[in-house]
This record gives sequence, structure tokens and C-alpha cells, in this order.
Amino acid sequence: MRSGELTPWSVLRDGARLIARFVRRHPIAFVIAVSGAALYASAIIAASRVIGWVTDTVVVPVLDGNESYSGLLLPAAVAILAVAILKAVGIVVRRTGAGYLQLRTRQDLRNDLLDHQLSLKMSWFDKQSIGDLLAVADADVDQGTGVLGPLPYASGVILLLIGSFVMITLIDPWIGLGAFIGLIIVIAIDIRGSWITYKMWEEVQEARGRVASVAHESFDGALTVKSLGREEYVSKRFGRESDQLRDRLIDVNSTWTTYQTVIRALPQAISIVLIVVGALRIDAGLLTPGDLVTVAYLLALLAFPVQLIGFVLWDLAGSQAGWRRIEAIFEAEDFISYGDREATPEVGPAPVLTDRVHFTYDGSEPVFEGLSFDLRAGVTVAVVGPTASGKSTLSLLLARLWDPATGDIRIDGRSLRSFAASELPREVGYVAQDAFLFDDTVAGNIALGGGFSQHEIVQAASLAGAHEFIMELPAKYETVLGERGTTLSGGQRQRIALARALIRKPRLLILDDATSAVDPSVEAAILRSLKSAALPSTIVVVAYRPASIRLADEVVYVDEKRVVAHGTHHELLASTPGYARLVQAYEEDARRMEQEAS
Amino acid sequence: MSDQMTTGKLIRRALAESPVLAEGLRLTLVMAMVGQAITIVTPVVFQQIIDEEILNPAGIDIGDVIVRAAVAFAALIVGIVVGRAALLRLVRTSSAGLSDLRTMTFNHLLRQSVLHVQAERRGNLVSRVTSDVTTLQEFMEWGGVSLVVASSQVLLATAVMFYYEWRLALISLVGVTLYLYLMRWFQKILRRNYDSVRVEVGKSLGVLSESISAIPVVRAYGVETETKERVADALESRFQREYKTNWFGNSLFSSAEVFAGAMTTAIVVGGVVIGVSQGMTAGELIAFFFLTNLLIEPLQIVVETLEFSQSAASGLRRVLEVLDSEVEIEDPDNPVDLPDSGLAVRFDGVGFSYPTGGNVLTDVRVEIKEGSRVAVVGETGSGKTTFAKLLVRLLDPTEGVIEVGGVRLDRVPLAQLRSRVAFVPQEGFLFDDTIANNVRYGRLDATDAEIFTAFHELDLGDWLDALPGGLETMVGERGAGMSAGERQLVALVRAWIGSPDLLVLDEATSAVDPSLDVALRHAMDRLIKGRTSVTIAHRLATAEAADDILVFERGYVVEQGPHRHLIERGGVYADLYADWSAGTKTV
Repeated sequence: MRSGELTPWSVLRDGARLIARFVRRHPIAFVIAVSGAALYASAIIAASRVIGWVTDTVVVPVLDGNESYSGLLLPAAVAILAVAILKAVGIVVRRTGAGYLQLRTRQDLRNDLLDHQLSLKMSWFDKQSIGDLLAVADADVDQGTGVLGPLPYASGVILLLIGSFVMITLIDPWIGLGAFIGLIIVIAIDIRGSWITYKMWEEVQEARGRVASVAHESFDGALTVKSLGREEYVSKRFGRESDQLRDRLIDVNSTWTTYQTVIRALPQAISIVLIVVGALRIDAGLLTPGDLVTVAYLLALLAFPVQLIGFVLWDLAGSQAGWRRIEAIFEAEDFISYGDREATPEVGPAPVLTDRVHFTYDGSEPVFEGLSFDLRAGVTVAVVGPTASGKSTLSLLLARLWDPATGDIRIDGRSLRSFAASELPREVGYVAQDAFLFDDTVAGNIALGGGFSQHEIVQAASLAGAHEFIMELPAKYETVLGERGTTLSGGQRQRIALARALIRKPRLLILDDATSAVDPSVEAAILRSLKSAALPSTIVVVAYRPASIRLADEVVYVDEKRVVAHGTHHELLASTPGYARLVQAYEEDARRMEQEAS
Repeated sequence: MSDQMTTGKLIRRALAESPVLAEGLRLTLVMAMVGQAITIVTPVVFQQIIDEEILNPAGIDIGDVIVRAAVAFAALIVGIVVGRAALLRLVRTSSAGLSDLRTMTFNHLLRQSVLHVQAERRGNLVSRVTSDVTTLQEFMEWGGVSLVVASSQVLLATAVMFYYEWRLALISLVGVTLYLYLMRWFQKILRRNYDSVRVEVGKSLGVLSESISAIPVVRAYGVETETKERVADALESRFQREYKTNWFGNSLFSSAEVFAGAMTTAIVVGGVVIGVSQGMTAGELIAFFFLTNLLIEPLQIVVETLEFSQSAASGLRRVLEVLDSEVEIEDPDNPVDLPDSGLAVRFDGVGFSYPTGGNVLTDVRVEIKEGSRVAVVGETGSGKTTFAKLLVRLLDPTEGVIEVGGVRLDRVPLAQLRSRVAFVPQEGFLFDDTIANNVRYGRLDATDAEIFTAFHELDLGDWLDALPGGLETMVGERGAGMSAGERQLVALVRAWIGSPDLLVLDEATSAVDPSLDVALRHAMDRLIKGRTSVTIAHRLATAEAADDILVFERGYVVEQGPHRHLIERGGVYADLYADWSAGTKTV
């Protein structure tokens, strides 16, 4: 599919492959849709035939005064209505079949995309923008399957063209040849025009994307822009992109307009030529007026469908552009490998071993080079280190959201990698700094699919210091939080996320700066209750606040890509100057200020 | 602006806002109609050749046929040229006019107060200047044109029909009117269905995008199966709704085909019956077949365009709503310059409440001396951030007066205010650009050397040196390439480079590690000597070092004074301080 230079031919060829791929999954819908299109095409040809027949047997003889119309009108009326009904049935069958095919394919693709992404490693996600992934699942799926809607219609038009050509040739071979050449010219111009405008349209889309991203960034950073008084600067930037878009739009629409005018006029020109030739043939006694009307009527009916051939090319090219972005996701094969071990959640806190872990994010400096430490079961450990020393990375590794490059992490003697899919989370709870809440109730957000009782939910919320404010919400635990929980403050969101982890009674609980937005006094209360709750967990806390550190039994001090020291807070204060400097910064400062003051 | 505003009024408003749209519109419309008139030539020539040549008992005069055809050809070419010129004019003016409208809307949104911008979902704001304007554009270029073209085609076809035989023309006209009503009625029924489809589409996309955004959480909690099921359910119910509506719409519209067939039947029957008694020719009746086609085809377009125009109208309505909304923070009519000296601050009975109700600040009376360092403390939600935003005029108070440097804040020209007063919010927002260019938002003409110096002045030289690309390091989308603390550092330098006389910091270093934070604060203390600074403090050490402390509780300033006084007093501040120092003690 990813063939080099795009040409109308490559678009047709690759488009056919793409269509075949979609149709294979729902062949019956496709067959039904195409049958409907064939019925529709036959009805149009029949309609022109009926008009010609009515002209010859009714209109001309009656109006020339040669015949009385009695007895002639009923069959004519029945025939015209019958083909109209046939046409209508054809439309319903075609569009319903095509609709089914397109809608089902979209549904399949969206489900498949999510399935696929759920089995990919975080290292893959790290290279994607979430916005792009969402756009693929939404707009690109629509665009990628865009061709399925008009496809049956297009195949109907092809049948219609062949049928018309055959019928016109049967009526008069010379007119048939003329009509054939005329149609070929129309189609050729149409395809060329569509192709050129398609290429230009892609530039329009790019310009449109830039306008949107400037707007997005400007509104996101509105507070900053306004507080610096940079409205005009940002506005000029937006104006430039908007002008670019305007110029691209004028280009593409001018070209498109020119082609459209020609395409619309050409069938008329052909009709005029046809009348002249037809008059000659009638004069020679080779054609009846009814035949001429049939051919002219058919050409009039064909004018519109022929215009649509160009659109199919657009759809084909557009579908392929969408599909390439979808395919890029399906082609990612960075799958997480799982073992087959089952979790044993009910056996209390777990010892944790981190053994010579090396880790590097793609394209940057190594984060860890030989990080090792050993935690006893049930201990509460604070991970401390300067800005950008890898504390959050360590949390991600412990929760197995990432895997070490080399080295191993074991919980209760078992490597994290040996667990089967979805098993490890039954033993390890992980709470990140930015609490992600779902558009669901408070209770639903805490339970998150697990079958927990109301009592357990309240217990976990109380432990996380969330019960009180939840009871003040309009519907308490049944309050729906809205998109990303925007109705709550940062600290409230963090406490709900914490409850979500606590309710699972994990054997290892990892808190990555998980209470950063909570008021210090509330945070202290939470940490105290966590300690006194006799929670069956080993707890790893990433935190700056000395209060959090003091509540820990042990400290792991991380710097220079490894564990510099591991021991109690007091031991580290005495043994490790870097650690002392970091955690005593405020105290030191306060002492110095007091000295200065006195 | 109300929903009652008619489409006509809407269009007049749009033309008033963006006059480019209307430039030469009349001539364009006339040209478009002339261009379209040409479609009528074929049926007329057809009729004449059939009646006067083919069915002429005297036989066919080929020379005459060719002359008639040549005239038709000439008319066709004139039509093409004029029609194309009309469309090009329309494309130019609509693109230019809508680009203006888009920029205007963007500027207006940007000028609205922080309150407004934050209340709306970002996506809504973005779609005001993207999809809403695009809908309009598409309507102008495809819908608008085909509307003009199609209605002139209908008019002309009707005129020719009346010329040939008025009774038959009347039959067509009645038929067409019925058809139009039928289609409109179908559309109304369908719109209700489309609305429910939109709801399902919205729901399914919501669930899907939430699931993709939440993949780390899904994995950390092992709820992959539940997530897949949730998405699959939403997609299935969306499919059901879409499929049913699709089927329903197909049936409705195909019944219109049957109606078109019935009309042709009526023309044949009526034409034959009327023709015999009124002496209508065969050519004229045959021309009617084609004319009926010329009537029905554009009507389908008109009906579709009407639907189109509905969405364009609501797009336009939303855009005009933006332009009509009041800009709360406006440049003063009679500006007063700030004094050249340092800046003192005075709050006199200042209150602030949201339009939805709910007092955030009540009767705040505060004096801040020129050159003093003031710390603001209080619990989350006590009104500290609102106080800061009022001080830098990102919001206007609902009650009372704020003065800076002895001048009412709402009398100071905004550009001057922004260059003398800097505000650093808690979230360090970075633009997708280099570090240097991000800092330049604080002063557009700052050189690399000046930026470099600013980092060093703030003791951030080491941090800058450690970056792979130094000042040219790209920060990524919304600064995603940096940690929260690092983003705050850049935001701080950005405010500093403008060398403000009044500096307002809202927990501007909350995500920076303690030792760097302390170093930074000392650097700041050194630098801001002589300037006025107001700092919302997350660490009470800042308050301890300040000249004056404002203590907020539930929207009131409950205590004010230097650290020692407040401790002695034993009130709210003393409690906060006790809590905090218990928390910082490492031993």
C-alpha cells in the first residue's frame, strides 16, 4: 500500500486492494448493495427506453392528429411509474447495503484499534501524541472507510455506462460511437480535474491543521498570553496561518470551479451534436424521433452520475490517506510480553527486589545504570532524589508500565514479567501525580470494574481522605464526574485516584507524588491513616515534602542513575551529604534567616 | 443573541461584520444566473429541431439544423465563460471574507477575560475559529453557489414551460411544489433522527477517546477486558442507531423518486390530453420531459442545501455570538499613565463574585508599599489566586477599586500594564517552540545573550547548561518534553526578562525540588530589591522572609502584618505556620 509516487493509477490499484480488504469481512452486504446499484442502472436505461417508446407510439402520432389517445395513455402511465418504482427500490437496496457495509467496517476498525493499542508497550505510546491517536480512531476511521459509501453507486454507474453504450449502439452504431467518445472525454477530464484538486486539497487540510493547532495552543496558554500582554503577537501568528489557508482555498476552489464548469457543459455540447447527427440519420430514414429522444434523454440522465466518477477518485485517494494512518497503528508490533503466572492477592505485603536495572528512554541519556535495592515486606519507603533523577521512572518500572532494558524487578521473588496479562495489577497498585478520572460516578471511578461492595468503597474513600468531600457532592458516591473529572479540584481528584488503588488492597502500593495537590495538613492526615490502617501493603512513596519522608520507615536516595544510599532517614542524614542538602534545604534556609535576623 | 434571529438577519449581520463578503455580490449573482441560463438552450433547440425540421412534412433542411446548433453552441460557450467568472468571484470574496471573520473571532476570544476562556471547554473555543467557519465556507462555496444556480435554473425552466403551454406548466409547478414540501417534511423527520445519531456518535467517541487516553491507568489496574467491553457496547449502540437512521432516510428519499415518476406520468397524460385540444406540438411536449428533469434535479440540490444552510446558520450564529459577547477587560477610553517610579498597590473594598453567584473575595482592603515584598497565604480555595488575577487585571473586581502606582487599574493602558506588571501562574505553560523563543514571549526583542544572562541571574545557569540544545532546545507540545518543575523555571525567566516593576507570583515554583527552590528564591530576593513583589506562597519560608503577609480565609483577608507580629498574635497564620514547620522538620 505504501507505494512510491501517487498517481491516479496507483490510487485505483491500491484503492481496489483496500476495498477488497473491507469487503472480505462483510461480503453479503456488498453483494446486496451492488445488486441494488445494478437494479438502479437498469431502471434508468429502461426509463429512457420508455420515454422513447412513449414518444413514438403516443406523443408524435397523437399530437400530429393521426391517432386518438384513448387506450394509449394507461400503458404509458403504468410503464413510466413502474420504472420509477424500480429505480426507488434500487436506491433503497443499494444505499442500505452500502450503509451497513460502511458502518460495520467503522465499528470493526474502532474495536480493533483499541484492542491493538491495549496490547502495545508504553515505549510505543511515548512516541505518539494522544491527540493523533484519538484522531485516528475518530476522523481517520471515517475517512479511511469513506470510499465504501459511494462504492456501490460507482459500480452502478459503470454498469449504467456500459448498458447505455450497448443500447445506444443497438439503436444506431454511429451515434453509439460518438456518445462513447464523448463520454470518454468527459470522464478523462473529470478524473484529471479531480486528481489535481485532490492534491491541492491535501495542502488545504494541512493549512487547516495549522490554523487549528495555533488556535488550540493560544487558548490553552491564554492565561500566559494575557498575563504577558502578548495578544497581538499571538493574533498576528493566527492571522498568518488563516491567510495561508485562505490562499490555499482560493487556489483549490478556482481550479475545481473551472473543471466543474467544463464537466457540466460538455454533456450539453454532446447533446447538441447528437441532435444534428440525429436529424441527419432521421432524414436518411435510419432513425425514428423516438430513438433520438431515447438517446438524448439517456444522455441527460447520465450527466449527473458521470460527474460523480471524479468524486470516487477523491474518496479513493482520501480513504487511502486515512487508511495509511490506521495501518501505521496496526503495524506497530511492540507488544508487551506476558508470562502465565497468576496473582496471589490475599497473602499480605510483598518484599520487592530491584536487581541491576538499566533503563533508557528512546533517544536520551540513560536514566538508570545498575539500580538495585531490596525492600522488606510491609515496609514504607520514600524515594527521594533531585529534579529529573528518575523517581517517576522508577515508579513506572515497579508498576511494570515500562520494562527495564536489562536487569529485573521481582515481587515476592517472582519477576514482574512472569505474570499473565491483567494479573500483576491485582498485586501492585500504582497512583500517578495526574489523577485520571473517567466520565463515570465517584463509586464507579473507585471500583473501576472490580466487584466491590458499597462498604468497601466507602472504607477506601475514608482511608484516602476523600469520604468527607464526596458526601458533600450533589449525589454523593453516585455523582457523575464529567469528562476527566473537571468538576473536582486537583487535590480531590488525587484522593479519588488514591482510593481506587487502596480498595484493591495491593501487596505493593506505589504513590508517585500522588498527593501533590492536596493541602499539606490533609496530606499528613492521609499518610498517618495509611500507616495506622495496618494496610497489607509494602508502600513506595515518591515525594519532596519532608513530612512524607518522615512518615516512611526507610529512604531510597536516587541520584546519578543509581541508588546512592538506602537506610533510615537519620542514617542517610548522617551518611549522605547530597541527601541532607536536598531535604534540609528549607530548614537550613530558615535557620540562616533566623541568624541573619538576630 | 437569540435563536430567533432569522437566517436573513444572520446573513446581514455577517455581511456587516465582514464587508469583503458582499463585495460585488450582486454582479456575481447576475453572472451566475446568466451562466446557468444556458442549460435551457438544449431542450429549446431540441423542440425547435423536432417540430420545424424532423416532423416538418417538407423534410429536413440540414443547413438550417446546423445554423440552429451553432447558435446553441455559441450560447453554451458564453454561458461557460460567464458562469466560471461568477464562481471565481464568489470563491475569492468568500475565502477572503471568511478568513477575516475567522481572525476577528479569534481576536475577540483572546480578548475575553480569563474567567470566560477558562469556563469554556478548549475544544469549543477552537471549533469557533475552525469548524464553525469551515461550515460557513463550505456553504458559501458549494451550497451558496448551487442554491443560486439551481434556483435560477428552476426559474428559467418554469418560464420556458409557461411559454410553451401554461396549463401543463401549472401541472408541473403544482407537482414541484408538492415535491418540495414532501422533501422538507422528510428532512424534518430525519433531522430528529440525525440528532439522536449525533448523541450516540458523541457518546461512543467520548468512551473511545477516554479509553485511549487512559491506557496507562487501564493497564495499571488490569481492566483491559472491562474497557474493551465498554467501548464495544457504545460502538454497537451507535451502529444500531446509525443503521436505522440510514435505512429510514433511504426509504424516505427513494419515495421521492416515485413521486418524480408520477410527475413525468402526469406530464405525459396531461400533455397528450391538453396538447390535442390546444394544438401543442410533439416537440414542445418532448421539451417538457427535459424541462421536468431540469426542474427536479436542482430541487434535490436545493433541499440538500437547505439542510446545509441550517448547519451553516448555526455555525454563523455561534460565531456572531462570540463577536457579540462583551469584552470584559477593555483598554480604557481615557488612559492614565503609570508613574515612572516603583509601584504601590491599594485594594479598596474589593469584592469578586462569579456571574453564576458565589463570592470569591469580599471587602478586601489592602495597602502594599512601593518596593515591598508581600507574601499571600491561605488554604486552597481561600481566594489567593483570584486576588492575584485582580491585581494584574486578568479579572475586574465586581466591587471596589484597585489602584496601582496611584492610578485606577482600569485606567491604565493594557500594553503599559503588561510591560510593567508581570504575573507568573502556577502551571508553567510553554509554547511548542525553543526555550529562547518561549522566554521571548516576555520581551519580544530580547537577544540570546540577554536571555542567557537572565537564566544566570536567576541561578539557573547550571540547569540551562545541562540541556542538550541549550537555549535552542525544543520544549515539545505544551512543554511535554520538560518536567513540571522545569516548565516553571522557564516561565519564571520569561516574566523576569521583561524586568517588571511589580511581580506577582502564584505558587510559581511549586514543582521545583527544595534545594533548587531555595536557591531560586535567594536569587529572586536579590534581584527584586526595590521592586514590588506579591508572592502566593506554597512554602511558608517565603512568608517568613516577606515584609508583609496577607492571610486569606474564605475570601476575606483575616490577618495582615509581618511574620513576627502574626506569630505573636496566635491566629490563623500561627496555626498554618505550626503545621508547616512540623512538616518541614527533618529530625
